[in-house]
Amino acid sequence: MKKLDRVFENSARSLAKRTSRRSLLASLGQLLTGAALMPLLPIDRTARAQEPARPSPDEQKCEYWKYCAIDGFLCACCGGTSTSCPPGTQSSPITWIGTCHNPADGRDYIVSYNDCCGKVSCGDCFCDRNEGEKPMYRLSRNNDVNWCMANSESNYHCSVSVILGVAEK
Amino acid sequence: MLLILAAGIASSWAAAPTPPLPAEHLTIATVGPKSPHWVYVVDYAYNNEIDSRVWLFDGDTHRRIGQIDTGFIPGINLSPDGRTTAVATTYFARGGHGTRTDVVEFNDNNTLSKTGEIVIPPKHAHTLAMLFTIGYSSDQKFVYVPYLTPAASFGVLDPARKKVLSEIDTAGCTLVYPWGPNHVSSICESGRLLTVSLDAQGKESGRTSSEPFFDVDKDPVFAQAVPLKDGYAFLSFLGEVHEIDFTQPKLAMRTPWSLVSATEKGTWRPGGVQIGAVHGSLNRLFVPMHKGGDGSHKAGGTEIWVFDLKSHQRTARWPLDTHVTGPAVAVQVSQDATPLLFLATEKSHLLILDAQTGKLKHDEPSLGQTPQLLLNP
Repeated sequence: MKKLDRVFENSARSLAKRTSRRSLLASLGQLLTGAALMPLLPIDRTARAQEPARPSPDEQKCEYWKYCAIDGFLCACCGGTSTSCPPGTQSSPITWIGTCHNPADGRDYIVSYNDCCGKVSCGDCFCDRNEGEKPMYRLSRNNDVNWCMANSESNYHCSVSVILGVAEK
Repeated sequence: MLLILAAGIASSWAAAPTPPLPAEHLTIATVGPKSPHWVYVVDYAYNNEIDSRVWLFDGDTHRRIGQIDTGFIPGINLSPDGRTTAVATTYFARGGHGTRTDVVEFNDNNTLSKTGEIVIPPKHAHTLAMLFTIGYSSDQKFVYVPYLTPAASFGVLDPARKKVLSEIDTAGCTLVYPWGPNHVSSICESGRLLTVSLDAQGKESGRTSSEPFFDVDKDPVFAQAVPLKDGYAFLSFLGEVHEIDFTQPKLAMRTPWSLVSATEKGTWRPGGVQIGAVHGSLNRLFVPMHKGGDGSHKAGGTEIWVFDLKSHQRTARWPLDTHVTGPAVAVQVSQDATPLLFLATEKSHLLILDAQTGKLKHDEPSLGQTPQLLLNP
């Protein structure tokens, strides 16, 4: 153990001789910036559901509160749910967001509308609601673009609506 | 006996075989001479988006002249001389999946057949029903295609030599609003227009940014601008009209005016997809209007409001019977002296009105699945 301590002490001293505190801060800064950017990178982080999709009747209705800014086919009618893509599709890592009011608890929620990709349009339960939706020049609030654009399979199939958190007033 | 003879003759006449139909010859129909009353109807085919198409429809005879195939979420526009339909689109190698190929296809409007293509980087902007997802320079030497990855840029193409000339970064601004032989503007979240100038090789030679003319949080403008003789008009969600003169090197913003009175504001709104059309020589603007609140900007018009572009006065209100057809989501007007007003509706009808009186002349049901953009020949 002492030997191990000595190895680390020597390497730390050697590092201190070779580098300044400023460079350490710069490196740490780069690391932190990198970490902050990581969630933006288009990597599929979708959890794999253990059970087959069982959407509630509400999830198959366009009037469902979470769908306040959706424009597309509801995945809950296409083999998925409001939070799961149908089997055999990919989820889009980039999304548009909406702010929807849940009448059940009186709170506003930030909702992510991911597209499910890689198959032709589902064609069922088309839903077009546009609360807070903005034109394409404010892309993060736009529901007209194909959010499958950055997927390896960029065909659009359907859209889900995933709560990200409570909207701060 | 005579009676029997007469009956026999009559029955033999009745049984005489009619001559057979002549042999037919299979032909391919031609498009015929162009009419100002034709309209190109873009059907995005939402239920099977890889199979969108354009219908060429005759507003006088009410017949479909033919079709152009346009692939997946295309950008579509006509060349300034009207001879070519250019289509920026995507194909997947295995139909609905497989390697994505983006391409600009050129179609001869005299034959409705494809005449050539340019393969472009696989990032043409996939967005619905927009006049500004492909455009020509006024001299037809360049074609511009917006890219979205979601980083925004646009490609400059040479349609004669079928080459990609350059890609121009637009710093987050998006779409292409072409003007003159070498200017391209894009619209920005800051409420400005970014204008890029090109040299003869299609490379950037300069860029300028306009003053901000709208606030995206207070009253955003539709990105679907309405082409004018000397620029574009951007309509806001609440009905403000921002006319911009593109003929000057520095874009000139005219004083905004409103489609709605103080009492109508916030109640009556423009809405739909193609939210305005101008008849150039009559100087009239046609807008589908609906009653609605925030978030209703994609709701189609239950009425068409007509405005004089010089006086800014509303000259007519034409209520639509939307019971069967649904409201109007797209509007276009022919540019001749006896103009037709074309309306594509939510339930896929094409309505044809007399553009001077508002009288309904024809209701064509089932013109595609989701027709949302109308182009003049």
